[in-house]
Amino acid sequence: MIQNYFKMAWRNLMKHKFISFINLFGLTMGLVCCLLISLYIIHETSYDTYHSKANRIYRVTRSFNNPDGAVTLKLGTVAPPFGPLLKNDFPDIQKVTRLLPNGKTPVKYEDKLFSESQLFFADENLFDVFDVNVVKGNPSKALTDPFTVMLSEKIAEKYFGKEEPMNKMIRFNNQFNLKVSGIFKSFPSNSHIHPEIMVSFNTLKDSAVYGERQLQTNYGNNSFFTYFLVPENYPVKNIEAQFPAFIDKHVFFPGAPSTIQFSKLTKLEIQKLTDIHLYSHTDYEAEENGDINRVYVFSIIALIILLIACINYMNLSTARSTLRAKEIGIRKVSGAGKGELVAQFLSESVLIAWIAMTLAIFIAWLILPALNKMAGVELAAAMLLNWRFLLPLLLVPFIVGIVSGLYPALFMSSFQPVKTLKGLFKAGGRSISFRKALVVTQFGISIVLIITTAIVFQQLRFMQQAKLGYSKEQVAVLPYYFTSNSQFETFRNDLLTKSYIRSMGRSSRIPTGRLLDSQNASAESGDSLQSVNVELKYLAVDHDFIPSYNISLAAGRNFSTGVSTDTANFLLNEATVKALGWPSAEKAVGRNFSYGNISGKVIGVVKDFHFESLRQKIAPMVMSLPKPEQANFFNALSIKIVGTNTTEALAEIEQKWKTYLPGIPFEFSFLDDNYNKLYLSEQRQSSLFTLFAGIAILIACLGLLGLSSFAITQRIKEIGVRKVLGAGTGSIVLLLSKDFLILVLVAALIAFPVAWYGVNRWLTDFAYRIPISWWIFAAAGIMAALIALLTVSVLAIRAANANPVKSLRTE
Amino acid sequence: MIQLEKIYKWHNNGNNRVFILKDINLTIEEGAFISVMGPSGSGKSTLLNIIGMLDEPSEGSYRFLEQDVYTIKEKQRSELYKQNIGFVFQAYHLIDELTVYENIETPLLYQNIKTAERQAMVADILDRFNIVGKKDLFPVQLSGGQQQLVGIARALIAKPKLLLADEPTGNLNSKQGEEIMELFKKINEEDGVTIIQVTHSEKNAAYGKQIINLLDGRIEK
Repeated sequence: MIQNYFKMAWRNLMKHKFISFINLFGLTMGLVCCLLISLYIIHETSYDTYHSKANRIYRVTRSFNNPDGAVTLKLGTVAPPFGPLLKNDFPDIQKVTRLLPNGKTPVKYEDKLFSESQLFFADENLFDVFDVNVVKGNPSKALTDPFTVMLSEKIAEKYFGKEEPMNKMIRFNNQFNLKVSGIFKSFPSNSHIHPEIMVSFNTLKDSAVYGERQLQTNYGNNSFFTYFLVPENYPVKNIEAQFPAFIDKHVFFPGAPSTIQFSKLTKLEIQKLTDIHLYSHTDYEAEENGDINRVYVFSIIALIILLIACINYMNLSTARSTLRAKEIGIRKVSGAGKGELVAQFLSESVLIAWIAMTLAIFIAWLILPALNKMAGVELAAAMLLNWRFLLPLLLVPFIVGIVSGLYPALFMSSFQPVKTLKGLFKAGGRSISFRKALVVTQFGISIVLIITTAIVFQQLRFMQQAKLGYSKEQVAVLPYYFTSNSQFETFRNDLLTKSYIRSMGRSSRIPTGRLLDSQNASAESGDSLQSVNVELKYLAVDHDFIPSYNISLAAGRNFSTGVSTDTANFLLNEATVKALGWPSAEKAVGRNFSYGNISGKVIGVVKDFHFESLRQKIAPMVMSLPKPEQANFFNALSIKIVGTNTTEALAEIEQKWKTYLPGIPFEFSFLDDNYNKLYLSEQRQSSLFTLFAGIAILIACLGLLGLSSFAITQRIKEIGVRKVLGAGTGSIVLLLSKDFLILVLVAALIAFPVAWYGVNRWLTDFAYRIPISWWIFAAAGIMAALIALLTVSVLAIRAANANPVKSLRTE
Repeated sequence: MIQLEKIYKWHNNGNNRVFILKDINLTIEEGAFISVMGPSGSGKSTLLNIIGMLDEPSEGSYRFLEQDVYTIKEKQRSELYKQNIGFVFQAYHLIDELTVYENIETPLLYQNIKTAERQAMVADILDRFNIVGKKDLFPVQLSGGQQQLVGIARALIAKPKLLLADEPTGNLNSKQGEEIMELFKKINEEDGVTIIQVTHSEKNAAYGKQIINLLDGRIEK
């Protein structure tokens, strides 16, 4: 029986090639989107699940808040003393292990010198907690001794080629040597962290590197990723509940008044390891994380595209049902029951879904590499063949087939044989209004996608063209490695003799980065200094920083080399002046101010500029000039290049760099590139949105094409009569298009509020955003209407130009 | 075999009741060959459809093979229909997408007959109707007479006791029509199949053993 159904289905498919193509193409595209998005979702949700103890591992995070409880900063890392103290105070915690990222670090072996960004100090018990595939060396000892290091296979090959890496010495930051004690396989792509070089944590105990005392007492350096292991199904909330007391017991700062209750100002929280990638959005993460909302949005998009394709099938099948009425009648007369007919039509739709699925798997496999590049992900085509994926994959055609085939099947199997066989049959009003509802749904979805895409694009352009308050063009930024202030001064003076280098500013952080440091501040209020309750971000700058970025002063002056007392003075931004409640920038200049342990005066106020991305509000900030011996406060060097010959300028800088800093690779980036990278994820989102919106609209249009071709065939006699009576092409096209245009308008009215809600939510991610303008909605509606009109016209014009004699004679 | 009592069929057209069949009382014995005649709109086809269980009267009772068609369960009626009634149409009504063989096989599929048995039954009837050579052709490749032959073969494949034919020769030329009528006669006489045919042609009607004339929904005595 089934065999007969499939035979019939296949012949029907071949007989109506145009409609079959529309159905097949739509379903295939829908399934391709679904497959690719499913791969993405599986990848995103699989983060860190590969560890055998994954559900017993937790990470400790730290947040800071104002006295009123508002969180000002949340970090995925904590201070070094917390790790051992946690193990000590909570006996249920079985293991604590830490990873300290070291940022960009020059590593040297013989003549090979690279700057490594995935370098971490790792606790010796790391492998007791995490599953790392150690290929060489003893995992239980390899990270025990100070000054030992483990490398990933990739890194080992980079430095040693085919040579045996074990026990070789590599040089760390031109400071000390490390002995290779083990080799491991790189962490898989679905890990939230990817150390490539792991230096033994005990190396930090050396006072020249960090110092044991520091490890035990420094509560201010919160850059240690700290994980702990508990028994199966352990209620970690119990531990979290004891954290405030834990903080009050241990945290202290030299010189802090004994009345301070630290638990009121800082909190420790616990995250499940497997939740980090999708749910953790702290200000400091090992890598850019994913987002559960993005997973939801893309799942919805995948389903929607598939739904549009299913709707096409439903629409076209019900529209064509008149053509099959005779067959249905004959089958009923031959003894077919309703159930048998439903089964027949369902097997047809399942067959089509199967063909579509086969094609979709092939296409997905073909375009996966291109998509990986576009979306910045690493999805493996091999995953398509994983049983976890393959099993549901086999079920999908049944579901899709049944979803899209059930309505037409029920509808058609209820035809009465007497009517169908007498040729009296006409598809009833109910099925027509159902088809209209389906078209409205398709176009509604398309319009929502058009609007969303347009708004995402607008916001992107807004961010790229926003006035930032500083100049980001032709600024080369480099890490700051100079060991003494005087060494830098000679380097600077050497380069400044060149006409194409205008200025070289040093700072602790650079624009496009985050402002994460802060200290306690007191500001002049009446006759005395009052402690400031607002968090003021800290930036160490030298006198050349402001000119390098063309940041304008609202009042006062910049730091000056000539004024030696400037190391105790401050520059504020306008946001700080406002936060302090001072009347104006001019009135702020000259007031007493203290920050951390420095007291002095405000010498100038800079106009607000967007140091951080446009997602963040401009934060109140304090700039101070470190003393010459504190030049290690600086982390970055910004060189403003003028004129057109950038290449020559860079060559000159590189040459000088090599003279002054021989052991350190010359690695620079341009600030405007960094700026564009800030919005990379939005850019990817927008290109993916465009892609998906395009596909959705294409499928919807194909459906409309099929539907209108059918409507025109049905009205061919009417068209003939009208032409004979003198109707022109234009009026006939209008007649045929009108019905569809009305549907698109209804779709637009439904789509507008949905789209508005969606984009409004998306825009709240940005502190600085575009207003949602009504014309985008109007344009999207008109665009959808035009697309629909164009689609229908293709066939309508042909029908209108046909010779009426032909169509009238057929009766 | 068939007992129709007080069969009425009407449509409501506004406030008027338009009668298609009025007070039809009819008894048909097994082995009969009846021709139903009458002008267009006299209710011939409706009567045939009611006998064939494709349509229901507005009023009246119908016993088929000693069972009351309108009181038995839907499923039983369907079984009764499948096993005992075959239909032949003026416009042949073959499924265009199926071959001759598959068209003939269709009723058997709905009776859950096993493949081997099905093949034997179809082969047998193809042979009897002399259309073995056409079995893999599609309906569009056949002449009208050949199509109707296939239509009859399909109606008879499940060995029904009753064959209903609605103007079976209406679309055929007279020579083809004669052949079909001869076939009907043979089926009736040799296999004992009861036949009720609707026809306009006196000549074809004469093949039947009995003629019923319908006028305005009534049987003319």
